[in-house]
Amino acid sequence: MPSIPDSRANTEGGCEMIQKPLLRVRDLETRFFTEEGQVNAVEKLTLDIHDGEVFGIVGESGSGKSVTARSVLGLLESPGRVTGGELWYRDETFADTVRADHPDAVDGDYVDLESLPSNVRRTLRGTHFSMIFQDPMSSLNPSIPVGEQIAEAVEAQRRARANPRSVASRTQGYGLSQYLMSTVMGSRKYVKSESLERAVELLELVGIPDAPLRAKEYPHEYSGGMLQRAMIAQALAGEPKVLIADEPTTALDVTIQAQILDLLTELQEETGMTILLITHNLGVVARMCDRVGVMYAGEIVERGTLADVFDDPVHPYTQGLLGSIPDLEGIGARLQPIPGNVPSLLDHEMGGRCYFADRCPKAMEECLEHPPEFDVDGSSHHATRCYLAETTYSEARALDADYFGSAEPLEDAADEPVEPARSDGGNTEEDSR
Amino acid sequence: MISDRVKQSLKREFSRSVMAKIGLVLVLVVLLTAIFAPFIAPHDPTQQGLEESNIPPAGVTYTTEEFQMVDGERQTVETETRGSLDHPFGTDALGRDLFSRVLFGARTSLLVGLGGTAVAVGTGVGVGLVAGYFGGRVDDGLMRFADIMLAFPALVLALALVGFFRGSDYQAIAIPDPFVRAGLVDGMPESFVFPLGLTVVVGIVNWVWFARISRGEALSIRQEEYVKAAKSLGASDWTILRQHVLPNSLTPIIVLATIQVAAIILLESSLSFLGFSGTTLSWGFDIAQGRDYLGTSWWIASIPGLAIVVTVVGINLLGDWLRDALDPGLEGEHGGGM
Amino acid sequence: MSQYQFILRRLLQGILVIWGVVTLVFLLRYMTPGNPVDFVAPLDAGQETRDQVAADLGLDQPVYVQYFDYLFGLIQGDMGYSFIRSQPASSIIFARLPATIELALAATIVAIIFSIPLGVISATRRHEPADYAATSFSLVGISTPNFWLGIMLILLVSVGLGILPTSRRPIGFVPAMEMFIFQLEIQGIRTWIAHMILPAVTLGTYFTAMIVRLTRSGMLDELGKSYVLATRAKGVPETLVRYKHVLRNTMIPIITVLGLQLGTLIGGAVITEFVFNWPGLGTLIINAIDVRDWPIIQGSLIVIGVGFVIINIAVDALYAKLNPKVSYE
Repeated sequence: MPSIPDSRANTEGGCEMIQKPLLRVRDLETRFFTEEGQVNAVEKLTLDIHDGEVFGIVGESGSGKSVTARSVLGLLESPGRVTGGELWYRDETFADTVRADHPDAVDGDYVDLESLPSNVRRTLRGTHFSMIFQDPMSSLNPSIPVGEQIAEAVEAQRRARANPRSVASRTQGYGLSQYLMSTVMGSRKYVKSESLERAVELLELVGIPDAPLRAKEYPHEYSGGMLQRAMIAQALAGEPKVLIADEPTTALDVTIQAQILDLLTELQEETGMTILLITHNLGVVARMCDRVGVMYAGEIVERGTLADVFDDPVHPYTQGLLGSIPDLEGIGARLQPIPGNVPSLLDHEMGGRCYFADRCPKAMEECLEHPPEFDVDGSSHHATRCYLAETTYSEARALDADYFGSAEPLEDAADEPVEPARSDGGNTEEDSR
Repeated sequence: MISDRVKQSLKREFSRSVMAKIGLVLVLVVLLTAIFAPFIAPHDPTQQGLEESNIPPAGVTYTTEEFQMVDGERQTVETETRGSLDHPFGTDALGRDLFSRVLFGARTSLLVGLGGTAVAVGTGVGVGLVAGYFGGRVDDGLMRFADIMLAFPALVLALALVGFFRGSDYQAIAIPDPFVRAGLVDGMPESFVFPLGLTVVVGIVNWVWFARISRGEALSIRQEEYVKAAKSLGASDWTILRQHVLPNSLTPIIVLATIQVAAIILLESSLSFLGFSGTTLSWGFDIAQGRDYLGTSWWIASIPGLAIVVTVVGINLLGDWLRDALDPGLEGEHGGGM
Repeated sequence: MSQYQFILRRLLQGILVIWGVVTLVFLLRYMTPGNPVDFVAPLDAGQETRDQVAADLGLDQPVYVQYFDYLFGLIQGDMGYSFIRSQPASSIIFARLPATIELALAATIVAIIFSIPLGVISATRRHEPADYAATSFSLVGISTPNFWLGIMLILLVSVGLGILPTSRRPIGFVPAMEMFIFQLEIQGIRTWIAHMILPAVTLGTYFTAMIVRLTRSGMLDELGKSYVLATRAKGVPETLVRYKHVLRNTMIPIITVLGLQLGTLIGGAVITEFVFNWPGLGTLIINAIDVRDWPIIQGSLIVIGVGFVIINIAVDALYAKLNPKVSYE
């Protein structure tokens, strides 16, 4: 039986957090096997996520944050695969359900989702884990009314509740044959009318006016903001314990962004669910999150409470993101985009060094060896993958500026730069590209 | 005219697709066969020899039973015919060498396929670009006409149109075989019968597809900024069409043209099979001949059909390759989920 | 614009296209070389007889008179008399129509039954043996001339195995059903099926192959869209994701393509009929073209054109019903 590595909060006797975390991610590795080569999208990811908190993962486009979200939900598609690590989820009832069939995957209240077969894992979707996506327009089926789509999620949840102990019953009577029957015979509705009623309630809950009417409309009849509300309603239908929000506001107007974030906060306070918020917008993180992980090249390079990361960043990448590196033009200068590119994540191009070293203004000789995660003094949650946590920067050991070849010009920077924390809804620096 | 990006994309798709390689090999083989048929063919494909009729392909032994009157009594005489390498694919009912006919048949199929496509591209692209670019009444009129053409199946329309050329001098024209003319090969036909009427007909019945696709392209391209810019600089409509609209709508036209070559070859073989093509040296014609001998000489109908399948499979594979490489809409198929 | 107005408008457009079809067919006849009198009048006929024949056929009138005569005749269901057989063209054509419709429907059913599951398997098991088998089949299927496929089936099944007849079919679907209903005699239906199998497979193969290819690529396209992920994420079982969501959305564009490809089906039917000596419109047209029996050619072309237009209006209506984004314009 695999043992769970002790969470740092427990071993170090941290005073803030006595309770056991809801999710313990340990050394999670996700790979994409493409024709160009193996892509290490997520590298040795280790995280604890606690009940009822909002945990933010922030990083540039291509840093692996969306893949992390999909890995947690078990929704990777070929050629992507989780190749290693553990994903412990704490739920007593679920642990009891799977214990008989998969004893190796259970340890106390915890279940390692990575050692469950995919059909068992699928049963957690909607009811334990749910997700909202970046672009609501493309994330809802264009040819089915919004209400019916939400009702589908309600159905999944009802079936789960009707028989929580059995995994198999979840798909029984819920398959193709019933769908075919419902298309042939109009009287046998595939989606029950109670579920549709619940869908309307959910639409009302997320603040959609005229919900009974709007439930019958198709996605293209909604505005972007309304559709994102509908998607949140859909994600809430299963009453999930963990809501993964992947760039929930990126595709929306600034004013709508703020409304959606308010809605999420409100719903989280009401339901007490845990939110894993994936974003490239530091403003959103600052506004929403209790704790943050900064992601770069598939790794969490720095994590801690919001205050740890925002007020006391150690990793030069975090500092760069926050625009806190003093530059020659003095105080008040615009946020400086970090020169260079996000690495390709191709396995054969990654090498054994710190992945950020080629863009790092403080790269030293140590950095040629891949750094482990160091604890940072001050907070029990604060950790970083940077030697600067232990040593101080020294010019003597610094690498030449062109050690990795000259940095790429700015116009090649990733097309989704991290937005600064200063703006709340955050689009003011868009023009800096 | 072909940008480096397109070349890159073609190369990448080619290197990772086994099917594209197979397609290219098949098409090259058929193309070379068609060009150098007189050199490869062991016999004149039109030379008849009744004593050599219905010989099976090499390696196949075939037994026929015949009733003969021997000494005033009816007797069953078994004749065993053995295929030899002299006629690798055997002979037909008139004793013509099937292998040579298959080789020369490639000429007919490819010439009609390429010629017919050229006719279709010429008319269709011209009409489509003009309709899409000018829009309005021109567009309405041309597209309604296209609708009317579309209401007829290609084969049926072609059947109705071949009547135009039936019995005329243009139904088929004789093209002198350059290799025979130059004295490089002996014993081969002096000239090659090119079914001109048929080529024009199969082109005309397929122009609509090109008109539709190039109209769509022209419609979207005329909205582009650079076209508006060119217009404001005083470029004439004709110049804009030729310099901007045509080059930019080339990619889908090329993909469609490739697929159309295959479709036209199938159409040609159908018309030849029905006896409306004006040439007797064609795979479809041979299949029609063999149809009467199914019970005895199965190879006459089978082998030319296989030749059609191989050719059309090859062209379709090339079409798939071009489509996968050039159509940006399908690129997501290969990417990761990041 | 409401759905009904939309369909009404399409109907009006359809009538316009049908008028175009009739005109085009008339022009075709008028422009094709060859004087019908040569085929109708006896070979040794003198000028007087020939003039009389021309007058009987209305050929002595100016073209526009001939055209309007034909048009008005058509509205009353009169397509003229066959040059060869002195019967009304319409009665000859409509006697042949059921056999063609039966064949086309049987082939369509064959195609739909086999193609959609194959396409789905191919797309969902990409790069597995099942996918390779389905893609290879469909590639060869769209590359095989169907007259040759028909001949090969006759060679292998009828000549080789000695099963299934190749002779002209003795009974149509309606008489076979009547025989079953009124006389409880199943023989008619069995004969009908035995004669139907090879032609339906011959004609259906190309369509099966084409729909497999369309379904596969459409479904791969659709599976890559982000709503699929979102649907899985909310806990909908995979079978429903595939069939209710993905396949349904895949079929919406395919339906339009199929409507347009209907011409290929009819064209294929013509030559399939010829191969199997099928007593339908196809053999009728081919024979009529051979002997230049223009009233039959014209009438058949118009019937085919009208059928095509009607089916495409139906397809448009179905498309509008399935795709909520259509604004009926």
